[in-house]
Amino acid sequence: MFEFLFKYPLTVYQKGSVVLQSGWSVWWWALASVVAAGIVGWLLLTKWNNGKRAKALVLWGLQSTMIALVLLLLWQPGISIATLKPQQNIVAVLLDDSKSMGLAEDGTTRRDEMKKTLEAGLADGLGKKFQVRYYKMGTRLERTGDWKGLTGEAPVSRLSEGLAQIAAESGSLPIGALVVMTDGGDTAGGIDRQTLATLRSRRFPVHTVGFGKEKAEKDVALIDVQTPTRALADSRLGVTVSFKQQGYAGQRAKIVVSEEGKTLTAKEVTLAADGTPQTENLLFNAGNAGAKTVQVSIQTLGGETNPGNNALTRLVQVESRKPRILYLEGEPRWEFKFIRRALEEDRSINLVTLLRTTQNKIYRQGISTPNELEGGFPSTLDELFGFEGVIIGNVEAGYFTPTQVELLQQFVDRRGGGLLFLGGRTTLAEGGYGASPLVELMPVNPGERRTTFVRDRATVALTAAGLDSIYARLEEDPAKNVERWKKMPYLADYQNPGTLKAGAVVLAEAVTSKGRLPLWVIQNYGRGRTSVMATSGTWRWQMSQPLEDKSHEVFWQQVSRWLVGATPGRVVAALPRTVFSDEQRIPLRAEVRNRQFLPSTDGTVEARISGPGGVAATVSLQPDPVTPGVYVGEWGAEKPGSYLVEMYATRAGEEVGRDTVSFRREDGVTEAFHTQQDRETLERLSTQTGGKYWTPQNVSKLPEEITYSEAGITTREVKDLWNIPIVFLLLALLRGGEWMLRRKWGAV
Amino acid sequence: MRMKRSLMIALLLGLTLWSALYAQRRFRRGMDWPFQETEDVQPADGDEKTEFAFARLRYPNWRSNDRQWSMRGSWSVDYPKADRQFVQGVRRLSRLHVRSTEQVVDLESDEIFNWPWVYVVEPGHWDLTDAQCKKLREYLLRGGFIMTDDFHGSMEWDIFMLSMKRVFPDREMVDIPDKDPIFHVIYDLDKRFQVPGIVNYPFDQTYEYDGVKDTWRGIYDDKGRLMVGACHNMDLGDAWEWADSPEYPERFASLAYRIGINYIIYSMSH
Repeated sequence: MFEFLFKYPLTVYQKGSVVLQSGWSVWWWALASVVAAGIVGWLLLTKWNNGKRAKALVLWGLQSTMIALVLLLLWQPGISIATLKPQQNIVAVLLDDSKSMGLAEDGTTRRDEMKKTLEAGLADGLGKKFQVRYYKMGTRLERTGDWKGLTGEAPVSRLSEGLAQIAAESGSLPIGALVVMTDGGDTAGGIDRQTLATLRSRRFPVHTVGFGKEKAEKDVALIDVQTPTRALADSRLGVTVSFKQQGYAGQRAKIVVSEEGKTLTAKEVTLAADGTPQTENLLFNAGNAGAKTVQVSIQTLGGETNPGNNALTRLVQVESRKPRILYLEGEPRWEFKFIRRALEEDRSINLVTLLRTTQNKIYRQGISTPNELEGGFPSTLDELFGFEGVIIGNVEAGYFTPTQVELLQQFVDRRGGGLLFLGGRTTLAEGGYGASPLVELMPVNPGERRTTFVRDRATVALTAAGLDSIYARLEEDPAKNVERWKKMPYLADYQNPGTLKAGAVVLAEAVTSKGRLPLWVIQNYGRGRTSVMATSGTWRWQMSQPLEDKSHEVFWQQVSRWLVGATPGRVVAALPRTVFSDEQRIPLRAEVRNRQFLPSTDGTVEARISGPGGVAATVSLQPDPVTPGVYVGEWGAEKPGSYLVEMYATRAGEEVGRDTVSFRREDGVTEAFHTQQDRETLERLSTQTGGKYWTPQNVSKLPEEITYSEAGITTREVKDLWNIPIVFLLLALLRGGEWMLRRKWGAV
Repeated sequence: MRMKRSLMIALLLGLTLWSALYAQRRFRRGMDWPFQETEDVQPADGDEKTEFAFARLRYPNWRSNDRQWSMRGSWSVDYPKADRQFVQGVRRLSRLHVRSTEQVVDLESDEIFNWPWVYVVEPGHWDLTDAQCKKLREYLLRGGFIMTDDFHGSMEWDIFMLSMKRVFPDREMVDIPDKDPIFHVIYDLDKRFQVPGIVNYPFDQTYEYDGVKDTWRGIYDDKGRLMVGACHNMDLGDAWEWADSPEYPERFASLAYRIGINYIIYSMSH
C-alpha cells in the first residue's frame, strides 16, 4: 500500500533527503502560498460576509491548501538518494551451517527452509542487482559457491567472528550489504562491541533473516550450572542449577549430579510456570584429590523437542593439599578434645594444637618437627604464615604480644588466612578483646562487660544465611537439615559475643533462656576471613548422640573448610572458567607472592599443560603491566577433552610455589542450547548497522532494500515526487471535499 | 542329729576364734592408727559451674558366697575426701577449671555422658549388668574415659576383667608403654612406682594380696587413644585422701597427684 501511494519503498524516504529541483527558494514558495491564501480569503470574506464566516473559513482552508500543493509541484520536489550501482557491488550472504539449523519444526528443518527461501526468489533477486558471494558460517567463515553444500555439521556458529572476518577481508571490496541467514545469535559469546563498531564505521548494513521458532513448544533446558572451581578433598560442594521449561508446568523432573556415570547426588523438583527461571541447590562430596568432571543433568521428559540442552559439564579441581590449622587453647577444655577428634578424622586438614596445661607448660600436638612451636604461639612471620588457619580458644587478649597481634592482622589481611575465635570464660569480652587491637579483626565488638559467658544450656537455630550456607549443612537436603538442627542436643554453654559489625553475617544463633544471641558469626577481612563461635559447648553433640551420629564431626570439618578452604598459596593459578565451549583460546593467569605474601614482580612463571592424546606444552607467562604480582599468557587448546595446567613460579633459581588448575574443552555443546531463534539479537544487530530484520515471509523485498545502501559503489539519483499518486489523491480530496461542502451548504 | 550338733559347735568355736583375732587386730591398729576420718564439710564454692568435675562411678558390687569379700570394696571407698582433696591439687597445679566437689554418676541414666572423665575405685568388686556394660562401651567409644584404681592382686583383676570383657569383648587390655603421652602430657612419669594404700601402714610393704608389682594397663580405641586407664596394684585414692597426713609419705602422694592430673589432661586432649 505504501509503495502504491508513495511510488517508492519506505527506505527511500527514510534514507533519502528531499530536494526542490526548480532551483527556486522554498521561501518563494512559502510567500506565494501566503499571498494566494490571502487573495482567496479576501474574495471569500467579501462574498460570504452575511454571518457564514465559519463556513467561509473552512472553504478558505481547503482552497489555500490546494493552491499551496499545486505551487509546490511547480517547484519540482524530488528525493535524493544513494543507490548501489547494478552489478558493481557485492552482497555477502552468510549462511548459518551449524547443527541447530538441522532442527526440524513442523516437518521442515531450518536449513531446508533457508534453502527454500533462497530458491524461491531471494537468490535470483539478489543476483540480478548485485554480485553475490555466499559464505558458510560455522566454526570459521568459509566461502562457498552456493547454498547447496551446507552440511550442518559445524558445532558452533561464530557470527561475531564471521562478521569481523568479512569486514577485515573487504577492505578494498565494494560490499553493498551483508545478509545473515541464521536461527539465532552468536553461540560463542555474543557479538562483541569492536565488531559492531567496525561494521558501523564501514557503513555496512547487516540484514538478518531469522529462521526457527522464537519459543519452544515443549522443552526443559538448563540455563546455567555453577560449582566451585576448586575444593579440598572430601569437602561438601554446592551446585547451583538454573533451568526453565516450556510446556511441562507442574510436572516433576529429576536433577542428577554425576561423575563418569556414577550419581553423586540427585533431587526431584516440580517445574514452575512456562518460561520462569528456577534455581535449585544440590550438595555432593568432592571425594579424592584430582580433577573431577561433574555432569549436571535434568531429566528429559516425554516429547521434548530438544533434549540436547538438558545437561552441562563442569570441572572441579579437588586439591591434594592438606592445609594446616593452628589451634591455641588457653586451658584444658572438652571442646578442645572433641574438636581435635573431629578434625583428626578429616584427611584434608592438618591440625596443630597448643594447649596451655599449666601456668608454665604448653602441650604441643600435631607438630611436624620436635622443635616446631617450641616457644609457644608463633612470634615470627615465617612461623605463622606456614598455617592457613588459626583457632583461638579460651585465651585472654593480653596473652598476645604486640608483635603477635600485628602478625595475626597480617595473617588474615595479607596472607589470606582464616581466623576463628571460640567462646570461653576468659575470652571475647571476658578476655579483654573489646579493648584489644585484635578487635579490629573480629566480626563483632565484644564490648567490655565481664559477664557474657554462661555455663547454661542453649540450643542452636540457623539463621536465613545459615540455611543457605553449605558450611552449616549437616544434611544435604535443606528441609532435612532444618529438622536435623532442631534435634541437636543442647550446648554446654554460650556467650554473648557482643554487637555485630557491618559486613558480619550470622549463620547460627544460640537459643537461651534469656533470648537469642549470635552464635556463629563470619566476615571477610582483607584477603582472608574471620569468625566467632561464641560457645565452648559443642562437645555435647558428640557425647550426647549415638556413636553412629557424625554431626559433631561434620560440623567442625565444615567449619575448618570455611576457615582454610579459600586460603591462597604463594602461587594462585586462575582461568576465567573451567569449561571452554567451542573456544580454543585459553587465557592463563597466575598471581605470585613472595615469602611475606607481598606481590612478587621479579619471578619467572611457566604454565605446564597436559591434555588429551598426549598433548603437552609449556607456556611462559609475562608480568601483567597493570597489576603487580600477576603474570598472564594465552594458549590454544585445539583438541576437546580435559586439560591440566600446573603454573610454576621460580625466583633466582628457587621455587616460589606451584598451583594446579584444570579445564575442559568441548565442542558443539553450546549449539544445543538457545535453540530458539534469538530474534532480539538479530534485530539489534540490524538496527545498529542500518540494516533490517527479515522473516522468510517478507524477505523477497530484501534486494530492493539493499539497493539503497550507502556502502559500496553508489550513485546518487533524484526521484520525482510530483507524480506520486498520493499528491493526486490529495488534490482530488481537497477539491472534492470543497465541492461536497458547497452542495451541502447550498452555496454552489 | 549328732553330726549337725558337732557342726554347730565347730562353727561357733570358729566364729569365736575369728572374732577374737579380728578384735585384736583392730585394737592393735587403734593404738597407733594415724588416719582418722573427719566430718565432711561442703565447700563454699561446691555448686560452682565449671568445665570439669571429679566424676565417680557408682556401680553394683560383685556378689559371692564370701560375704566378707563382697562387703570389702565398693564404689564409695575414700569418698568424698579423696575426690575433694585431689581436685584442690588439680586446681593448684593446672589451668583446668575444676569444681571443688565431686560428681557421682552411674550407668543407669544418661547423665554419665555429661562427664567425659570418670573415676572408678575398687573395680575388683564391681559387677556390671549387661545393660551397664553396653552403656559403658558406648560412653567410652563416644569419647569418654575411665580411670580405675585401688584394686589389687590377681583375684580382683579377674573380677574387674569379667565386666570389662563384657564391655569390650573385642579389645585387649594391654600394658601402657612408658612413651605413651598419658605419662608425659604434663609430668614425665617414666619412673613410676607402687603407691600403697593406708592399709599398708607403716609402709614397709606397699602391696596387697599377690599384687606385688604395680601395673599400668589400658584399652585403646581404633585411633590409638586410651579409653580406659587401669591403675592396678596401687591405691592412688588413698594417696590423695591422706596427702595431708604427715604419716603418709610425700613421695607416694606426689606421684598419685601427678598420675591423676596426667590422666585427666590426657583425657581432655586426646
